[in-house]
Amino acid sequence: MSETMNVVSRAHVKSGAAMTGAHRRFGWRRCGTNVIALIFCVVWIFPVYWMTVTAFKPRNEIMTTTPAFIPKHWSLVNFYSAIMQTSFLQNLENSVIVTFSAIIISVFLAFLACAALTLYRFRGRRVIMVLILAMQMLPGTALLIPQFIVFNQMGLLNRYIGLILAYIAMVLPFSIWNMRGFFLAIPVDIFESARVEGASEWQILRKITFPLVAPGVVSTSVFAFITAWNDYLTAYTFMRDQAKYTLPVWLSSFTTPAGTDFGGQMAASVLFSLPVVVFFMIVQRNIAKGSTAGAVK
Amino acid sequence: MRTPSQRPSNVKAPPRRLDAGRPNKKLSQGRFAAMLLTPTGVILLALVLVPILFLIVTSFTDFNQASLFTGTFKFKGFAQYVVALKDIEFWKALLRTFIFTAALVIGSLLIGMAVAQMMTKLGTVMRYIVTFVLIFAWAMPNVASSVVWKWLFQPGYGIVNWMLTKLHVFGNMLNVAWSNNTTLAFLCIWMLVIWQAVPYIAITLYAATTQLDQSCLEAAQIDGAGHIRTYWQIVVPLIKPSIMVIAMLSIIWDFNVFNQIWLVSQGGPNGTTSTIGVFTYKKAFVNFDIAQGAAISVITVIILMALTGVYVRNLLKSGEDL
Repeated sequence: MSETMNVVSRAHVKSGAAMTGAHRRFGWRRCGTNVIALIFCVVWIFPVYWMTVTAFKPRNEIMTTTPAFIPKHWSLVNFYSAIMQTSFLQNLENSVIVTFSAIIISVFLAFLACAALTLYRFRGRRVIMVLILAMQMLPGTALLIPQFIVFNQMGLLNRYIGLILAYIAMVLPFSIWNMRGFFLAIPVDIFESARVEGASEWQILRKITFPLVAPGVVSTSVFAFITAWNDYLTAYTFMRDQAKYTLPVWLSSFTTPAGTDFGGQMAASVLFSLPVVVFFMIVQRNIAKGSTAGAVK
Repeated sequence: MRTPSQRPSNVKAPPRRLDAGRPNKKLSQGRFAAMLLTPTGVILLALVLVPILFLIVTSFTDFNQASLFTGTFKFKGFAQYVVALKDIEFWKALLRTFIFTAALVIGSLLIGMAVAQMMTKLGTVMRYIVTFVLIFAWAMPNVASSVVWKWLFQPGYGIVNWMLTKLHVFGNMLNVAWSNNTTLAFLCIWMLVIWQAVPYIAITLYAATTQLDQSCLEAAQIDGAGHIRTYWQIVVPLIKPSIMVIAMLSIIWDFNVFNQIWLVSQGGPNGTTSTIGVFTYKKAFVNFDIAQGAAISVITVIILMALTGVYVRNLLKSGEDL
């Protein structure tokens, strides 16, 4: 493909006159595009802006007939009521315990499995990869129904362990696929020479493979964290007591003693989204890079 | 959260030479690989594959709320499937899902392509701002964005209602309850899903476009092709592989959209915004007609596996070495 493009470009001799003309037109166009881009940004960021601004408004400025785009007074009262007048801290603890247990187990297992699936050749490897890919595409209720029945029989509903197991099932296939690109990037010669030096397979895995794919492990952990942290459906179905809710369920059923309180709800949304957005910003470079390079072959 | 974990890897798999050693060494390597794979295999077998088998078995029984307590149920053959296929509501939900999925995929792809193209025409600073905004919308957890959406579209005090009223085009929209009207509820949810779907598409396509040979585009422009013509006749064919991958993934993701619908409209009014996912969930976990829910889930799984099959074939055709 690139060959044809080179031929095309070589066939054209760029004349100076044509270039200046193009430049002048380009200047006007660029100005217009900037305006469009600016409008796009304002529209697209507005929901986030409105969430944040509502969260920081005092109670009496939230429900007004003419909405105030910039609050007259800033206030932390909504955050106070979201944190102190609800079961936030309890639910935060649940979320942290369940999410971290699930991602530590799944990322560790995914690392081992991914090493096996990318660095060694054996029969059935492709079938396993496709099967793992298919697992990610399952509709939400497909796993929820049987897991619910079995966990109900085993008394795992409404307990951390049930949710942790469900999250491992959700996150593990995805983690294996996410790490794969990082494993494939390792030059195979490294393993060859390590073997010649007499390193055992375990030593190779610990001392060579792991440090090389460490960025992949970090990025996978972050994605796994986001997936489990954001899950609503499983937690909503499995956890019956409010004291056992995770944060997404807490957020969706948010009420304070004052009734439906949008200020508190927006403050709650900010509290819940903040870690996700921060983590996402850290790893987003990896996504852009990865999906770029693979896209055009 | 949509993350492109299934993207084609950026690196072509180098030739694997690990199995080139002596026969006994090869054996031990094979055993080592099997050992690494075992824990994951056991977990996925127990938590995914066995549950799917269990789902299929359940769909042939009359498992219901009482069975949850007593643990007893009877085998009913294909009865649940017959009930599902005779239920007009099931077909409506399925049709709704297809239409809604199509609307989402087409909408997000077109907007995503436009934004990606816009990004190529921007200066560095402006492009950074656009990227930042996109990533922010992308990163928002969909539970939080659904809650925010309900506030934006709140009857009485919703800012969107207020702004639409100020436009003086639609009349007084202040007290419109979006989730009580099928069309408006779908529109509202459509905007919500699009808002978070466009960033991935725009950023991926922008990246794909910047990798194109610029001289090719310049050549087309010097030849007198307008911007729009250059885009559709040169850029789009060149980034077609990326567009195909994104389209396939979007179809699968949008088919599975659940949280946004559940949290914004609960599938209402009168179930008219229930897509197949919401419909199944209500059957299984609201009415506790679990066997019926299982039968519909099996049908959905078959549809999604067919879509995944097309996607995998596409991946293999594009030279991805699994």
